[in-house]
Amino acid sequence: MSDSYRIGIDIGGTFTDAVVMDENTGDFRPVKVSSTPDDPSRAFMEAYTRGLDNQGLTARQVGFVVHGTTVATNTIIQQKGARIGLIASEGFSDLFEIAWQIRPNLYDLDYDKPPPLVPRHLCIGVPERIDAHGEVLVPLDEAAVYRAARKLAEDGVEAILVCFLHAYRDPAHERRAAGIIREACPGLPVCVSSDVCPEYREYTRASTTAVNAALLPAVGAYVERLEDRLGAVNPGSGLFLMTSGGGIIASGTARQQPVQLIESGPAAGVIAASYVGRLAGYENLIALDIGGTTAKAALIENGRPRLAAEFEVGDAAVATTTRDKGQGYPVKTPVIDLVEIGSGGGSIGHVDPGGALAVGPQSAGAAPGPACYGKGGSEPTLTDANLVLDRLDPGYFLGGELRLDRSLAELAIDRRIAGPLNMAVEEAAAGLIEIANANMTGILQLVSVQKGVDPRAFVLVAFGGAGPLHAAALAKALHIRTVLVPPSPGVTTALGLLVTDLRHDYVRTYISKTDDLDLPALTAIYREFEDHATGLLLSEGVSRDNVRFVREADMRYLGQSYELRVPVARLSESLPGKMNDAFFAAHRRQYGFATRDEPTEIVNARLSAVGAVPRPSRRQVPKGGPSSRTALKAKRDVRMPGSTEPAPTSIYDRYRLQANNRFTGPAIVEEIDSTTLVPPDCTVTVDDYGNLLIDVD
Amino acid sequence: MSDRSSQLTMDPITFEVMKNALLNATEEMAYTIRRTAYSTNIKTRADFSCAFFDASFRVVAQSFSQPPHLSSMKTAIPNALREYGAENLDPGDGLVLNDPHRGSSHLNDIALIAPVFAGKTRIGYLANMAHHVDVGGSTPSSLGVNREIYQEGIIIPPTKIMRRGEIDNDVLGLILENVRAPHETGGDLRAQMGANLVGAIRIAELMDRYDVGQVEAFFDELLDYTERWARREIAALPAGVYKAEGYRDNNGFDDEPVKIAVAVQLRDGSARLDVTGSAPQQTGPLNATRSNTLAAIAVVIKSLIDPRILVNDGLYRCMDVIGPDNTVLTATWPAAVVGAWELAQLTAELTLTSLRDALPDRIPACGKAIICNLGFAGNDPRKEAYYCYMETVGGGNGARPAKDGPDAIQTTIHNTENAPVEEVEINYPIRFARYGLIPDSGGAGRFRGGLGIRRDFEFPDCDTIFTVLSDGTRFPPWGLRGGGDGRTARFILDPDGNAERLPSKVSITVPKGGRVSVQTPGGGGFGHPLEREPDAVVRDVRDGKVSHRTASETYGVIYDAATWSVAHEATLAQRERLERSSTR
Repeated sequence: MSDSYRIGIDIGGTFTDAVVMDENTGDFRPVKVSSTPDDPSRAFMEAYTRGLDNQGLTARQVGFVVHGTTVATNTIIQQKGARIGLIASEGFSDLFEIAWQIRPNLYDLDYDKPPPLVPRHLCIGVPERIDAHGEVLVPLDEAAVYRAARKLAEDGVEAILVCFLHAYRDPAHERRAAGIIREACPGLPVCVSSDVCPEYREYTRASTTAVNAALLPAVGAYVERLEDRLGAVNPGSGLFLMTSGGGIIASGTARQQPVQLIESGPAAGVIAASYVGRLAGYENLIALDIGGTTAKAALIENGRPRLAAEFEVGDAAVATTTRDKGQGYPVKTPVIDLVEIGSGGGSIGHVDPGGALAVGPQSAGAAPGPACYGKGGSEPTLTDANLVLDRLDPGYFLGGELRLDRSLAELAIDRRIAGPLNMAVEEAAAGLIEIANANMTGILQLVSVQKGVDPRAFVLVAFGGAGPLHAAALAKALHIRTVLVPPSPGVTTALGLLVTDLRHDYVRTYISKTDDLDLPALTAIYREFEDHATGLLLSEGVSRDNVRFVREADMRYLGQSYELRVPVARLSESLPGKMNDAFFAAHRRQYGFATRDEPTEIVNARLSAVGAVPRPSRRQVPKGGPSSRTALKAKRDVRMPGSTEPAPTSIYDRYRLQANNRFTGPAIVEEIDSTTLVPPDCTVTVDDYGNLLIDVD
Repeated sequence: MSDRSSQLTMDPITFEVMKNALLNATEEMAYTIRRTAYSTNIKTRADFSCAFFDASFRVVAQSFSQPPHLSSMKTAIPNALREYGAENLDPGDGLVLNDPHRGSSHLNDIALIAPVFAGKTRIGYLANMAHHVDVGGSTPSSLGVNREIYQEGIIIPPTKIMRRGEIDNDVLGLILENVRAPHETGGDLRAQMGANLVGAIRIAELMDRYDVGQVEAFFDELLDYTERWARREIAALPAGVYKAEGYRDNNGFDDEPVKIAVAVQLRDGSARLDVTGSAPQQTGPLNATRSNTLAAIAVVIKSLIDPRILVNDGLYRCMDVIGPDNTVLTATWPAAVVGAWELAQLTAELTLTSLRDALPDRIPACGKAIICNLGFAGNDPRKEAYYCYMETVGGGNGARPAKDGPDAIQTTIHNTENAPVEEVEINYPIRFARYGLIPDSGGAGRFRGGLGIRRDFEFPDCDTIFTVLSDGTRFPPWGLRGGGDGRTARFILDPDGNAERLPSKVSITVPKGGRVSVQTPGGGGFGHPLEREPDAVVRDVRDGKVSHRTASETYGVIYDAATWSVAHEATLAQRERLERSSTR
């Protein structure tokens, strides 16, 4: 018998999901409890306790807990971050007021910038200046720093950040300033830009540092509360948090670097997709997570999710395109490159004034919810459309916990769409779904074709409550051949928390023409990173054998501003040539063209330090024959994508399916937390791990 | 809302899918340019635009855009295709052009056109236009005070620069030999050509899914749909003729103010901008072509109608610029035109202001109303090479009828980002001495105008040719409904010493070690300052955006500086006093 379990707990807006996994067998059991937004740690502990009770386990049997949280994002979006003060180079303390100086939408006469992260009266410039070449032009005025810190403390700030020009190049002034601030204001947290984000471009660096400082008190207290509560029941267990980049960090590190946690939840879903995909034998995947209000997509190549270096947090966490820039606050930390749109089960359909049909981004949310919930919602949602087409069973939604009312769904669709457009209710419902599918196809394209990747060679991993309902149609649109639906798709994200490694990313701006590369200098940077990372990982409980490093560099053509990341092989004379080759190939792949005649430069040295966490190998589900008859629970008429009439459709019970079972569409597979739609001409095979593999071709 | 007459004739679902596919294609072009370009103005400041035209040369889809590019492309691209002969373009070919007198705005904006084929059928054209740091001519960054277009830089008629996917190095070489930053310009042109290749692939993918007839029907449908929606929205604006006039500093040669007069005609779902009464075409760079002026009305109307309406030929069918040729807003060959955007900024503000009584809840006070083109050039001793850099600077937005104007932002037709201080200092022999808001520069009002920006430059390494091609130093951004004016622009040599005021159009050599200060205008205020919420005034004082003196003498607000709280009785008394003295 195993005494060793790990628990993943993912807190979302409506539900807190937990997965308790047996480390020997890889078996896991899901738990869903209502979230408690006023104090998320209550739902956290409830999920923890129920997860143990369900299996008759004691806290002592838990090795470690991994947590995915939206607490950091919500703190920023709801503007509940700490009151913070800025100390900057004199003459340059207005960077938060100016930001990018643009409007995300040129035609919006009512646009306002997001409120500055630090109000202007808490931004103080002090005499000091280092130039672009690292030369000190004006020495640090230490007395001015002391006065500024005292003034900010008197104004009641809860943390201070320091951002001096070119501190990525020489952090001496920032470090000295931090020392003076600690002297002046003992106990007040201090963040310096050269620690949090040692890269050039001052606004982005300052913004990242400010977000970290603004999160420190709240997130720090939250994590501490979790540590205390867990410590009370099981003093020995470790607590880790998922970062935006899909790694995990110890709770103590997270308290210092809360800016790492912003995309914690969405990242876990992508990690889970790569895990279930790899077990099933697929390394090139597109993760598709469709929930109640949003759909998210991400690309996984060779088993690794794509990472981006920068994003914005604010009204909406936006991806890394030029579009919509300026709606939030830039954050430069590794982040799983995912795209999110307001298109989920609760998204509302409407007719726009030009006479076209549109879906979202408005959502009926959890309250009042879709019309068919009967909780007062009157707007037609995607869930209503799926119900009207009989794709959902009104009596088996959330396993029967919520009874859906088909007539309310019909009424809403008729009033808002079918009536105005003079079409049948079923046509309108099918249209709503097709348009939502087109929008979701758009995000799948953004993460694939727009990145120069052909989606046809990829497997679509569909999860989230609504993912398996739409996935087959989306796969068809993009000519993707295979859809993979993992067991319990509704808690896939929580599973992802348990199957990743500890990870720390290091970066430093180091600008040099590739051909003139100073190899010893570059080696020294990587060595320094590695020494620091080793110390940190050991302190987090990783054994030395499990520490791995990945050296990379950001490169570009001399003159460009955006870099591409290339691997850095063993440092030798041939390294510049190898790096150039890798860069040319990456440029051609990403943008469709590349020339070997133009000089290149290296901009940043990067290191990812990984503390490997052993992955349990999952136990396989019972094997059966090709016949799926024992899992067949009903037949009903369902209107499938692309057809105009309902057709008799087999309804399968997911829990009774066995490995090797095969069946063809039209079919529907029901389980408590999700419904999988199998269109006609598609064949489903159940694999050894209970995944549904839908052959869409 | 139901309106049977407004229905699509096409299946609304296919319609939506195709629309998104097309928009994604132009967005991806924009992404490619930004990520691969070399010059700061394009890669960091995003001074470029992308569009798709159908086989009848109608603009069907556009990316994120700088509006004068789009209105220029709408005219210049069809003109180029007609002149060169669209039938002379094969797959993989590309045209380059920049001649403002063939329908665009100024020589710095270089456009690249590529045909798109589905099999053998010519389905349309991709085009993109980007502002290049230098196109030669009398002055670095091509921002000089000149008499005619020939002095402004190299003039490129529609010329084939790509043949079957390969760059014609003769043509590229000829262009690069005539510009001051050939490394950057070469990189930028490759980025523009790469973007068209990417866009062509995406559109070909769309063609894979549908047949040519279906796609052509879609283009018609999309443009009709846009036009129908836009006309209905414009018709819902109060019909009438609305006028406003204002002045620019001068034409760069003499010191006479240059008059801009606009009359906006809203009738039957169309919007026309009549420029009759504006000053005649100038000898100097302050001239705008008719297609450049179109951007002003297009931006204003687009801002006033449903934001979901797309910018394409359907929208442009609803608007035009009328009035005689050879005014300052309808300049023709051989006018010098590099100052065109300075005119478009004021024209757009005047167009908005003309509607102040028709749409009292929507029209803001005047914003900074300049582009503020700045050029820098010299011999960079570190790189042992000639360098050339240009940028523009944001300023105050006009206050709105129900809220303050944003500080430090780009306004109306213009939306380019700032270049990070560190990025500029790494790449060029330029050092910044300060970069911040200008207190008290926003017009006072019940709602305050946005603050202008002060950006001071120092040249530590070499003598530097510093060029300003701007305006706004004489006539301030105006307030509305009792709101005060914003502060004017100032360009100052040696700001911490002699502080010599420079004119708004000038090119000077600043000796090594010298400094210049660029100070952009604040926006006008809206409503009377004595009606401003006293708390908002105190907040502004605490934030250093409004001075103590302005608070008490203009806003009539008295406060306790220790607690930052309003002294209500003293404020009441002060406001009464100010009211009495103003009515006396």
